[in-house]
Amino acid sequence: MTPAGRAGRIGLYLFLVTTALFFAIPLVIVVLTALKDADEARGASIFLLPRSPDLEAFSKAWSSACIGRDCNGIGGRFWNSVVITALATSISLLLASLNGFALALWNLRRAGLVLGLLLVGAFVPYQIMIYPLVRMFAVGGIHQTLAAVVIVHVLFGLPILTLIFRNYYVGLPPELIKAARVDGAGFFQIWRLVILPLSLNVAIVAGILSVTGVWNDYLLGLIFSGQNWQPMTVSVASLSATASSGVPEQNVNMAATLLTALPPLLLYLLSGKYFVRGVTAGAVKG
Amino acid sequence: MTRVRIENLVRSYGAHAVLKDISLDIADGEFLVLLGPSGCGKSTLLSAIAGLDQVQAGRILFDDRDVTRLEPSAREIGMVFQSYALYPTMTARANMAFALRVVGASRAEQEERVRWAADLLQIGHLLDRKPGQLSGGQRQRVAIGRSLVRKARLFLFDEPLSNLDAKLRTEMRNEIKALHERLGVTFVFVTHDQIEAMTLATRIAVMDAGVIQQVDTPDEIYRRPATRFVADFVGAPAMSFLEGELVAPDRVRIGENTVAVPDYAWRSAPRTGSVVFGVRPERVSVAPVPGTATVAARLRGIEPHGADTLVWAELSGQRLSARLTPEAAAGLPQSLHLDFEIEGVSLFDPDSGARL
Ligand SMILES: Nc1ncnc2c1ncn2[C@@H]1O[C@H](COP(=O)(O)OP(=O)(O)OP(=O)(O)O)[C@@H](O)[C@H]1O
Ligand SMILES: [Mg+2]
Repeated sequence: MTPAGRAGRIGLYLFLVTTALFFAIPLVIVVLTALKDADEARGASIFLLPRSPDLEAFSKAWSSACIGRDCNGIGGRFWNSVVITALATSISLLLASLNGFALALWNLRRAGLVLGLLLVGAFVPYQIMIYPLVRMFAVGGIHQTLAAVVIVHVLFGLPILTLIFRNYYVGLPPELIKAARVDGAGFFQIWRLVILPLSLNVAIVAGILSVTGVWNDYLLGLIFSGQNWQPMTVSVASLSATASSGVPEQNVNMAATLLTALPPLLLYLLSGKYFVRGVTAGAVKG
Repeated sequence: MTRVRIENLVRSYGAHAVLKDISLDIADGEFLVLLGPSGCGKSTLLSAIAGLDQVQAGRILFDDRDVTRLEPSAREIGMVFQSYALYPTMTARANMAFALRVVGASRAEQEERVRWAADLLQIGHLLDRKPGQLSGGQRQRVAIGRSLVRKARLFLFDEPLSNLDAKLRTEMRNEIKALHERLGVTFVFVTHDQIEAMTLATRIAVMDAGVIQQVDTPDEIYRRPATRFVADFVGAPAMSFLEGELVAPDRVRIGENTVAVPDYAWRSAPRTGSVVFGVRPERVSVAPVPGTATVAARLRGIEPHGADTLVWAELSGQRLSARLTPEAAAGLPQSLHLDFEIEGVSLFDPDSGARL
């Protein structure tokens, strides 16, 4: 390697390390603080290592921290998030697969127009649709219920998920559909028996996107879920706003934050391989 | 058992006309081969017969029943695709049983029909494998088996052999032919391979640019091509074409030479005037000495093909080829005396390309 090349290489690594550090610092602070006790968390510098690290803060955050007047921790809200995420993701994956199939492989009239509208849908800031949706749910009598929060997640997730499925299906050989039609299968039979079994890889990618999107969402949960189905993210925010003994318990807040952020983090770590593979496959074939 | 009648079929993509007023009558039990160069509309025509593609005008009748607007599933057809199009996640058995499964046939019936087709194609031992675990030839067999399982009255094949190697191709060709004889139903087979067409067909329909040029028996197509396109497309090595002038209905002048064409089987009224003189290479021979019927030409090149040798010659500035035995081609002099057999000669109108 030439000296110039080596210098370039060093510069590149320097840049990468700095960038990685920049993004890692908040995470490091969260972890360090969560391992401290309340006094230490409040007093010492946020960068110091904990003197006697323990998981006290985590168990408190999970089961006894106060959110408003309710002192049962965020554990219960964890299951709310799980239910909302599971429902929203499975429904939107099924619908997105069906839509993607229709757009890619069924000779749909104006498929191009629908595709354009989907693209618009995928990039419209959803804040502008919140008020009309609130009114609609109120009229329909399901405002601030599980149904409402799942429906909005499905609605906002569908455009981008449909595009992902559609791009994958476009790469499938059209003869497959022709053969199935000659064999006498109808639209839904072809989708269920031929297309769905082929969709595992793309479903993993779309699933990861959907799970992280729904899990990390704050705004929609705040507005549409109501008290009974409040997701974890909203609880964490309320938790940090509640100071039970008058002084903020930063270690508990940090622990709650970490617990909330953990599922998507784990998901990325465990499925990064599929994710990269699926995203590039879609990109090349699209 | 189906007689297929196609009447004035039109299909275009935007301004691009792919099928231009196609009419074709396929007899019951016939093995019809659609032959033509890439992009001439063979697959489009086959898709129209299958009902996979809507046509803009014209009718398709199966046994006098108008099926133009029927779904493929309602047409009682079996179809085999070039890419096999097997369902990748299903075993060979499930692939073959698919058509029966979607109409809710009983397990016993599915099993019985799959058995029958598997025995016919000798793929019984492959039934539990998925397409990814099969070789190209095996996949093709399974694909054919899948089309057999449903009781079809008409089988459509879209270049089913073009992904196979030469040896396997010959083998599958013979099997498809045997299958046709055994089933006795109508076959429509698309290919751009003339050997396949010649060996399989009871009749060949030669297509070019969305138009059917000729429908005839393989022998007739070869010996009396209806247009210059057919003459050029069918036959390897290809027919030679020389521009000339009919000075009398039985004499063609080519440059300074005159070729006698006595006893030519005229399709149109015998005439004089400019003409394209076509001759099959195997009907051209080299005479040792000039005779009354020979024409003088110059040797231009020699191409050994193993069984025979192609000799290129120049006649009044135009090239033609002669197919000779290697012995006859050895040691040819520079100036040749060529002899044409009238059976190998075709005359075409230079403007319309139609046979005279
Ligand atoms: N969906 C389509 N949109 C536009 N043009 C098409 C479409 N399908 C086919 N064509 C055009 O129609 C013409 C005929 O196509 P077709 O597939 O029937 O050809 P083919 O004779 O089967 O050729 P090959 O031997 O290569 O399979 C081609 O020029 C092709 O470009
Ligand atoms: Mg084709």
